[in-house]
Amino acid sequence: MTAPVHEYIPDSTKPFLQEVMERSGQMLTACYQCRRCAAGCTVGDETGCFTPNLLIRTVVLGDRDTALNNELVWKCVSCYTCGVRCPNDIQTARITETLKKMAKERHVEPLQPKVAHFHDAFVESSIRWGRVNEMEFMGFYELKNALKEAKVKNYEAIIDELKEQAKLGLTMFKLGRMHFGFQMAKGRKEVKALYKKAKRKRAASPDANA
Amino acid sequence: MEIAYYPGCSLQQSSALYDLQSRRIFEELGVRLMEIEDWSCCGATSAGKVDDFLAVALPARNIGIAEDAGFTEMVIPCSACYSRTLVAQQRMADDTRLKEDINEEIGKKVRGDLKVSSILESLLPIVTAKDFKPKVIRKFRELKPVCYYGCMLTRFPYTVPVPDRVENPRGMEQVLDALGIKALDWNYKTYCCGASAAVNDNQTSLSLMSRIMKDAVARGANCFVVTCPMCQMNMDAHQNAFCEKNDIEARLPVYFITELLGAAMGIAPEELQLDRHFIDGAQLLKESEKDERKEK
Repeated sequence: MTAPVHEYIPDSTKPFLQEVMERSGQMLTACYQCRRCAAGCTVGDETGCFTPNLLIRTVVLGDRDTALNNELVWKCVSCYTCGVRCPNDIQTARITETLKKMAKERHVEPLQPKVAHFHDAFVESSIRWGRVNEMEFMGFYELKNALKEAKVKNYEAIIDELKEQAKLGLTMFKLGRMHFGFQMAKGRKEVKALYKKAKRKRAASPDANA
Repeated sequence: MEIAYYPGCSLQQSSALYDLQSRRIFEELGVRLMEIEDWSCCGATSAGKVDDFLAVALPARNIGIAEDAGFTEMVIPCSACYSRTLVAQQRMADDTRLKEDINEEIGKKVRGDLKVSSILESLLPIVTAKDFKPKVIRKFRELKPVCYYGCMLTRFPYTVPVPDRVENPRGMEQVLDALGIKALDWNYKTYCCGASAAVNDNQTSLSLMSRIMKDAVARGANCFVVTCPMCQMNMDAHQNAFCEKNDIEARLPVYFITELLGAAMGIAPEELQLDRHFIDGAQLLKESEKDERKEK
């Protein structure tokens, strides 16, 4: 367990819990720690036993630092097994997805930066062209990773990563599973308009600036 | 019969074979897949992790396009696209303000009456009908597949009508039954392969995939059958890596359901692009066929 001893202060706890509940649409206070989620968690072995029920408890107790940056938030694969089995219909994967967004808004350095880079690069590519171009999106993803590693002069990690991707890429190319044509939707203006609206909504929400 | 068809980005690129097979199979079954015009990306699993409004708005645009063209049903073979689109349709039905908000920005407005179908939902009524039997001209009785559904066919981030059993779906087994192929029972049919973690958290994903593989091998399976292009790519492209890491000797081809359907209906493997697999699948099919001839 990674959670440190935490002092519980009800007044400062409430707004954080409220925000997570509203944005994720999940009733965290309904959790009675039966651990069915923990038993079924796909990545239970990979998160150092930081299971969905512990994440819920962490949020309920108002330990923001742990809630925004723990193995489960960044290793959760959104398989939704925990939510399907929860007797109180709490979909914890929605909570991890919410906490990822909240971590970003609060400029918390993610425990698994590559996960954040991946989803950002994917959505950026889909907004840019209306459709995702796998090669372009993977390029931007690797660029984000490389820039991060270059900042701390970890050039070996960049080379290893590129080697690994090149190996897979070459096989994909040989098998005819690499696509060189460029895809886009004519209606990408509409997609961009939706993106702008999403941004406006984020800026207008009082929670985002908390 | 014509139904709307949403291929999605991956079926235009790394899983282009699945697009080709789907069109071909449905044509053979007397259904024309009508690709909706100028569709855009559904946001896949990434949009929900970046912005909640976008996660609904991106697939909503495609729903609007299909409804405007007068379709009542849209089939989506990719599990991620299917899941996102189905959830978007339900969320807009439950929240009219959200629907209006999205409709303000798009040309073809969402009404909300389009039925969003997975490939299994669209296939099942056809292959279980009486007139399908004569179309099965090759029987692969030696095939011992395990049906691998993954996450996104039965588990959703939001309450939607799920067309199959959540913990023990049977749709793929039913399709294979119609082809005279008996699928094996196993424990990992709805386990997660890690999806995008194969790229951004490789070690976690390899460990998940090795568990799926171990159970399949222990059950005596000789191949996987899938409907999800992400599961197919992961289990196929990374199979050597996770097997070597976990001392698993066996290698099992990962077939799309469309490949077995097509082969059973007599479509040539080359036409189905079966040669585009990392783990060869053509040989196993051929062997099953050889045994068939001996029987006669």
